[in-house]
Amino acid sequence: MSEYIGKARLNQKQAAVVLLLPFLCAYFAFLIYPFLRGIWISLHDWNLLAVAFNPDAKEFVGLKNYVRVMWGKDITWTLYHSPILQSIAIAGAIMALWVKSTYRMRATFVWLIILICAVLFIASGFHPGEGGRWYDRRFWPIVVNTITFVGVTVPCVTGVALILAAALNRETRSMAILRTLFFLSNVLSVTVVTLIWQIMFSPRQGLIANVMDVFGGSPIVWLTDMQFAMVAIVITTVWWSLGIAMILFLAGLQDISNDLYEAGALDNATGIKAFWFITLPNLKRTITLVVVLQIILHFQVFGQVHLMTNGGPNDGTQVLVRYIYQTGFRDSELGRAAAMAVFLFVIMSAFSFVQFMIGREQE
Amino acid sequence: MKHVILSAALVAGLVAPAAAQEVSLGRFFGACEDAGTDTKTSVGEACIIQSIINAASAEIDGVTVETLPTDWGNYYDQIKAAYAGGTPPDVHVMHRHRVPEFAGLGAVADLSADLAAAGIDTSDWAPAALDAVSYNGGIYGVPMDFHANLWHVNMDLMAKAGLVADGKPVLPSSPAEMLEHAKKVKEATGKDYLAADFAQYPIGVRLTLALMWQQGANIFDGDTATINNDSAKNAVTSMTQLFDAGVANPQLNYADSQQSFLNGEAAILVNGTWVVDFYTAEAAKSEVALNNYYVADFPTLFSEGATWADSHMWAVPASLKSKDPSKYAAALKVLAFINDHNIDWARTGHMAVRSSVLNSAEYAALAHRGEYTGTAAIARDTPPSEKYGAIQDVLNRELQAIWLTGKDVTAALSDAQAEVQDLLDR
Amino acid sequence: MTRQSGYYTLITMLSIPAFVWLIPTLWMVSLSFQPNDVLARTTSSTALGMVPIPFTFDNYLDLFAFGHTPIWFWNSIIVALGMTLGVLAVSTTAGYALARLQFPFKATLTFLCLIGLMIPEQAVFIPLYTMFADFGWHNSYHALILPRLAVPIGVFLMMQFFKGISKDIEEAARIEGVGWLKIFWFVMLPLARPAMITLAILTFLYSWNDYLWPLVSAQKRDFFTITLGLASLQSNFAQSEGLGRIMASGVIASLPVVILFLVFQRYVVRAMSVGGSKG
Repeated sequence: MSEYIGKARLNQKQAAVVLLLPFLCAYFAFLIYPFLRGIWISLHDWNLLAVAFNPDAKEFVGLKNYVRVMWGKDITWTLYHSPILQSIAIAGAIMALWVKSTYRMRATFVWLIILICAVLFIASGFHPGEGGRWYDRRFWPIVVNTITFVGVTVPCVTGVALILAAALNRETRSMAILRTLFFLSNVLSVTVVTLIWQIMFSPRQGLIANVMDVFGGSPIVWLTDMQFAMVAIVITTVWWSLGIAMILFLAGLQDISNDLYEAGALDNATGIKAFWFITLPNLKRTITLVVVLQIILHFQVFGQVHLMTNGGPNDGTQVLVRYIYQTGFRDSELGRAAAMAVFLFVIMSAFSFVQFMIGREQE
Repeated sequence: MKHVILSAALVAGLVAPAAAQEVSLGRFFGACEDAGTDTKTSVGEACIIQSIINAASAEIDGVTVETLPTDWGNYYDQIKAAYAGGTPPDVHVMHRHRVPEFAGLGAVADLSADLAAAGIDTSDWAPAALDAVSYNGGIYGVPMDFHANLWHVNMDLMAKAGLVADGKPVLPSSPAEMLEHAKKVKEATGKDYLAADFAQYPIGVRLTLALMWQQGANIFDGDTATINNDSAKNAVTSMTQLFDAGVANPQLNYADSQQSFLNGEAAILVNGTWVVDFYTAEAAKSEVALNNYYVADFPTLFSEGATWADSHMWAVPASLKSKDPSKYAAALKVLAFINDHNIDWARTGHMAVRSSVLNSAEYAALAHRGEYTGTAAIARDTPPSEKYGAIQDVLNRELQAIWLTGKDVTAALSDAQAEVQDLLDR
Repeated sequence: MTRQSGYYTLITMLSIPAFVWLIPTLWMVSLSFQPNDVLARTTSSTALGMVPIPFTFDNYLDLFAFGHTPIWFWNSIIVALGMTLGVLAVSTTAGYALARLQFPFKATLTFLCLIGLMIPEQAVFIPLYTMFADFGWHNSYHALILPRLAVPIGVFLMMQFFKGISKDIEEAARIEGVGWLKIFWFVMLPLARPAMITLAILTFLYSWNDYLWPLVSAQKRDFFTITLGLASLQSNFAQSEGLGRIMASGVIASLPVVILFLVFQRYVVRAMSVGGSKG
């Protein structure tokens, strides 16, 4: 056997070690270890600057950071504290169950919705009792802001991307050009995007203001107006992230075989009917995937808020990642920032897990 | 012994022609890429400071200066991150109200022993200036200016409303009178009475602070927050009455409020000393609507005169002093250069810190300087605290909540009080 | 005939929203060619500002004469290329090993590696920051490049790709007596070129547009990437150079990625769809 002539050859195990070592080194050094260290930091009272000058200035405090961020004094739970939210939660759960039985939707998706509704139901019941208060008055409203942002942006992006993908799903030159035009905004960086839209929204210099001027309207001060600030962020984000959703839908559409459409055409189901009865049901998995991907992506929103509204007005557009950044680098409270980061991780990993399971189902 | 060696190295560094030291300099004030090195003709904060820095880099032997301009809003986040990351700039500007925080941590160096050797005469500093950079018996920076809030006035609009007498604008002496004047301006010209950045930077906070001081009150007293009270309420409502009457717009940010003043859309802009020469230059341009420009002291709307003031100073990281004596010496040379050019910086509109400059004819001849001489007397500093940065953030948020989202004044003040108390307690 | 005209109607109808979608970008380009002092007064000089009259090249010339923009541009290029090469290196090696080689604890290791997919950047940027600070590594190219090498998405992509290659090629090589490493280098890598290009583009785009990590890690202006540098100018512009100049910076900042996209469209599209659908 020529294998053992000449230089000793590596067997599979040894080759595997050589090939895996670079990645594993980076992985444990720059992802796993920091992640664990982050949890460790969150258990300390850690002032960024003080510790930089005196490494002993940090103090182990256990779960105190978590308590001070997420809990409060005299917090009680009442069944009907937020009747609107809790009714929505119950309605959502019932609807999910009904949809499951009538449309035979994928079980995992349905249970996910029910889980979210249950969490919503329980979470909205918490409130400070008599003489009580949340320790961190801003944390939960900021979480709600982030959820609101995700809750508005994701359907918008998904809806528009779906319609565009369906309309542009043909292999002609013009279609390809149009697809490119819609996708172009996705390659820009967050700073260019916010630069453009910050000026677009400016009441004095903006394109929107210029257009309104032509029609005789008075300019809206988008970025500092309580009602319009979040809308402005959503518009910017939708403009920016349309591309990737559209591409994913196009990929999903191409998986739908033409035979289905031809069969449908025989039944006189063309155009919008074809879309509703043929395209949509076959896109279920892709739609779910796009939705989950968008949720993960937009939960991490930072740049748009940091550069356009600074979280204002009055925390109206402040989001979780930016609060983490400011707690760590403006207030120097590293321990609390790390605790919030762990909270974020828990939420994100839940959605990542869902995305992973959906991805694996294809195999 | 270490002290002797350090001083020796310092003197050696100052005297001997060492290899070129590159001193990194952190500042805000805005970016001005083509400032040149002529410190006498530059206009505006950004360009004047950059021309001084460029001149320092060109004229000081063996020293070049590398500037790191940062936007004002995020400056301290970046400086803190730089300190925590072990790479603070060799020289950086700071506000006086941050001295307790940075000096308290030992972040910035005590310069008292080394200033004379670098050519900086501390006895030439006005007493208040020396006070501003002192902490616990040490001198932690080189002061550059005092700056205070002023009322920038568009005389043409005021004249149309009949609010000019003896070449000076007639300013209110009570909130009620202010509302009257505001309505007069609106009726006569259709323009807003007052503009300011209520929506972005803490300029609204400073306004409110000044009005509280005018009533003899303050935001905290030792370790107790005193925000939810009548004086704060009076201060806030004197502004909100203008918003409600439609004679002032709280939604404008810094750039927009400034531009609206320059476009002649508001009779008064509440801003600081730092824009006097910039607005003077703009008013001279024919295409800019502002023509007749006057700079007035912040009027006394309550019982005593007061206006918010602060001070800019240049500091050096303590780590530089202990680890790199020759670069430390170079940094001090840069500071000495800036100190020497105090008259040029004062051209912006800021008040100088050196007695020799304050008493000079050149200073008195600066544009509009005679119009706001009263400011130095009524200028008051923010109450000192290690947590002042965080306190100002809380106030900015709560006050903006009142002006921009209609939050109830009492609720906002009580929330602010609770949070500031939290900060003071920590 | 109806089908044809239906198609043309569709194209025409869709061109309008496509144009609307393009307007913000076009506006930025147009403003970048207008003089700053005009823009300070008004942005709607001609056709609401969409047409750059008055016209000037000054903003672009100034950018290269005075600003730090060229330095930032090069930093972005160096960091993006470095990160791309690094990610390709660790992902192809690990991806191949996990896909094709047999070794003990393979299943556990694979699972461990993919767990990392669930950890978002924001959960580790603070501890990473303190770690790099302790070593004094901030304000450097390696600080900007290294953290991303640890993200397993590249490994996952390459793993999926290698799994799809027929085993015959490998067996043929093994019978010839070729060592595993040689198989990897001479046989597998060339085959993997499409997947590598896809991964390279994904990584390049990510690196170019990254904001949060450079924001906390690069404190010295010389090490800003163009995305970060542009952000630092944004808030400053009210006090400084002017609108036209900032817009020109934005255009320059976007040019490489836009050109990259236009040239490698097919790969970018594939990168997005593969990256998304595989989780």
